[in-house]
Amino acid sequence: MKKRIGLIAVAAVWAALAVWAWLRPAQDLSLSERRPLARKPTLRWETLLDGSFMADFEDASLDQFPLRDSFRRVKSLVHFYALNQSDKDGIYVSDGVAAAQEYPLSETSVNHALDRFNRVYEQYLRGTDSRIFCAVVPDKGYYLAEETGHLSMDYGHLFSLVAEGIPWAEQIDLTDTLSAEDYYRTDTHWRQERLIPAAQRLCGALGVTPPKQEDYTVTPLERPFYGVYYGQAALPMSPDTLCLMESGLLDACTVYDYETGKTGAVYDESKESSKDLYDVYLSGARSLLTIENPNAATDRELILFRDSFGSSIAPLLVSDYAKVTLVDLRYIQSDYLGQFLTFSGQDVLFLCSTLVLNSSAAIK
Amino acid sequence: MVFSSIPFLYYFLPAVLGVYFLAPRRWKNGVLLLASLVFYGWGEPKLLWLMVFTIALFYLCGLAIEGAKTRRWKTVWLIVSIAAGVGLLGVFKYADFFIGSFNAVTGLRMPLLKLALPIGISFYTFQCLSYTVDVYRGSVPAQRNPITFGAYVALFPQLIAGPIVRYVDVARELEARTHSWEDVTAGLRRFLVGLGKKVLLADNFALLIRLFRESGEKSILFYWMYAIAFTLNIYFDFSGYSDMAIGLGRVFGFRFVENFNYPYLSKSVTEFWRRWHMSLGSWFRDYVYIPLGGNRVSRGRWVFNILTVWMLTGLWHGAAWNFVLWGLLFAALLLAEKWVPALGKLPGVLRHGYVLLAVVLSFVLFNAESLAQAGSDFACLFGFGGLGLTSPETLYYLKSYAVLFLIGILGCTPVVKHTAAKIAGTKAGPVLETALMLALLIVCTAYLVDGSFSPFLYFRF
Repeated sequence: MKKRIGLIAVAAVWAALAVWAWLRPAQDLSLSERRPLARKPTLRWETLLDGSFMADFEDASLDQFPLRDSFRRVKSLVHFYALNQSDKDGIYVSDGVAAAQEYPLSETSVNHALDRFNRVYEQYLRGTDSRIFCAVVPDKGYYLAEETGHLSMDYGHLFSLVAEGIPWAEQIDLTDTLSAEDYYRTDTHWRQERLIPAAQRLCGALGVTPPKQEDYTVTPLERPFYGVYYGQAALPMSPDTLCLMESGLLDACTVYDYETGKTGAVYDESKESSKDLYDVYLSGARSLLTIENPNAATDRELILFRDSFGSSIAPLLVSDYAKVTLVDLRYIQSDYLGQFLTFSGQDVLFLCSTLVLNSSAAIK
Repeated sequence: MVFSSIPFLYYFLPAVLGVYFLAPRRWKNGVLLLASLVFYGWGEPKLLWLMVFTIALFYLCGLAIEGAKTRRWKTVWLIVSIAAGVGLLGVFKYADFFIGSFNAVTGLRMPLLKLALPIGISFYTFQCLSYTVDVYRGSVPAQRNPITFGAYVALFPQLIAGPIVRYVDVARELEARTHSWEDVTAGLRRFLVGLGKKVLLADNFALLIRLFRESGEKSILFYWMYAIAFTLNIYFDFSGYSDMAIGLGRVFGFRFVENFNYPYLSKSVTEFWRRWHMSLGSWFRDYVYIPLGGNRVSRGRWVFNILTVWMLTGLWHGAAWNFVLWGLLFAALLLAEKWVPALGKLPGVLRHGYVLLAVVLSFVLFNAESLAQAGSDFACLFGFGGLGLTSPETLYYLKSYAVLFLIGILGCTPVVKHTAAKIAGTKAGPVLETALMLALLIVCTAYLVDGSFSPFLYFRF
């Protein structure tokens, strides 16, 4: 009898989930994973015959399953704590900090990125009197992996590949200006309010006035910041707080977006409700932006080849520059740059993260 | 469709169970046949005709064998059925293997057929062959109801990955079976245990195997981890599927044959094959080895019989030379055990160690993409690959998978079953058992919801 009751309990849970899965209205978006969810396909004779209906239905049944985030959390808890596995799909959590295991080093990928940088140099910079610099932004794993017993790429080799691959750029070492605490616990990126030492190192090399902490007001955003690792790890983690380094100088700056033709502010308030709160820094992923600084101490200009890490540090570099142009080669092919920019002796900084260098297929 | 998928667990199965148990008794086989065709068509919509054709062909052959007036005509119809079954297997599964081998030997360039391998064709063809042979032998009457016969051939619980259920074993249940709470309880419990084996163990070992293959920093130790991980992966994958099939069968009122009996506890290769994929081993024994004369023949002929059966066993698993060699390796080990009786007198630990080593190495051959890769894998396993003993990556994955290896190794023994039986005998047993079943359901669902599609290894056979 007890066994029968037990079976009824199991069957009831099973049936309840099944009925819920059948009847649940479709969801559009997974906030934790920041991606659209697959929807159940419409049954058509052709899709039935070629099997695509079944494949799409399977995708949708996974994406639309009730309590999906809770189930993903159950898996993570079992994976990390019951099976004691060190990472889940390359993501690990240590002392409440989530990070991606960047391993192994892909020399092919690094060389691809360097090839693109060399192309920019040959097309636009060779023969100009630009001073050219390069700084590699270490990912969080640089500081965490060894300490927590996880795998990491051979960073030393990566740095030497970069130094040898673009000998025309003066290398700026940022590694000793940062620590694991300077990155969001739930995200890949670094925290703007902790970047003064790194920005000082960059400005020192560029020969402009380094920023000082007291020049800024640190303003935390109200909305909690759940970074990309939060969704991937699917573990119970408290969110980060995203802060803006505000100043009168930055308030006066304007940002021109070549994609939209619109002019806005350094910190894009409209992004405070976006999927990725980090987009608040210079509106997130953009191919070509120009920051105009009317209160600049000099008329010097900086061209910053950057990835998303550049979005949060660029505002800390602008004080002496009348104009800072940000180029993201993942979103614009270098061949087209000449249509928008004139390379004529500006300072040039290639600021690229180890994450992008090690997975650089997107760099055009 | 695979059992370990959300569409099966939460869409197909509940719907089929609902319709099946609501349907009147005389419609139940029809419901099963229809559900089985949907199940099969879900993965192979374009090859559904092959399933229907196979059912019709063997149904008619069975009737023809039984209805034939003379022994000669019975034999003719049996040969027709065997030729058709083997022919279908030959065309869909082996044609490209034979053409490729022929091209390699002759230097010709005969074009390959490149036909899609129908899911489960080896399983359902062998079931059909056993049916006509058994009708021919008079062991069982031919099935006159095409729906009942169709339900037998296409029965979805065991359609795509066994166990190989002979018609004679389920003939009575196909006609008149009973359903009980006990069967449903035991069946669902067995199903969930199998689901856990597949989703929590086999798929996790499969991930380690993938990481090993992708690694650019292999070591000797990593190769051994891979070999052991694959040995555990294939066991939990296949035995998990068999558990699910047997469990589902029981829910629907069938008692399928057991397929595994702790094979890694064996102390001889002979014993291993009495415990591993038992339904295949007994099929080859009853339908190939004994008809060839078994061991009641001259020594030379007996060796021929053994080699034939094991070469076919290898080929049954896949149309490639590494499978043939895999089968012949076991033939050699079985012959060695017969010819060197001293092997059986070694201490139990040594015999057990020898079987485990043989099995682990055989699965390295089994899982190789080519003979060249198998050769390279063996060289690396024994230190001839120019690799270090270990590497940081190896040690990382060893630590990461240590608990899983431990659970996997324990899961290959009866320890878990005995412990569960002890707990079930206590006062809190039923509550704990229910909690465990619920936990299995929830955790497996969690892994499926979060994970990507992972097909059963035995799909290709």
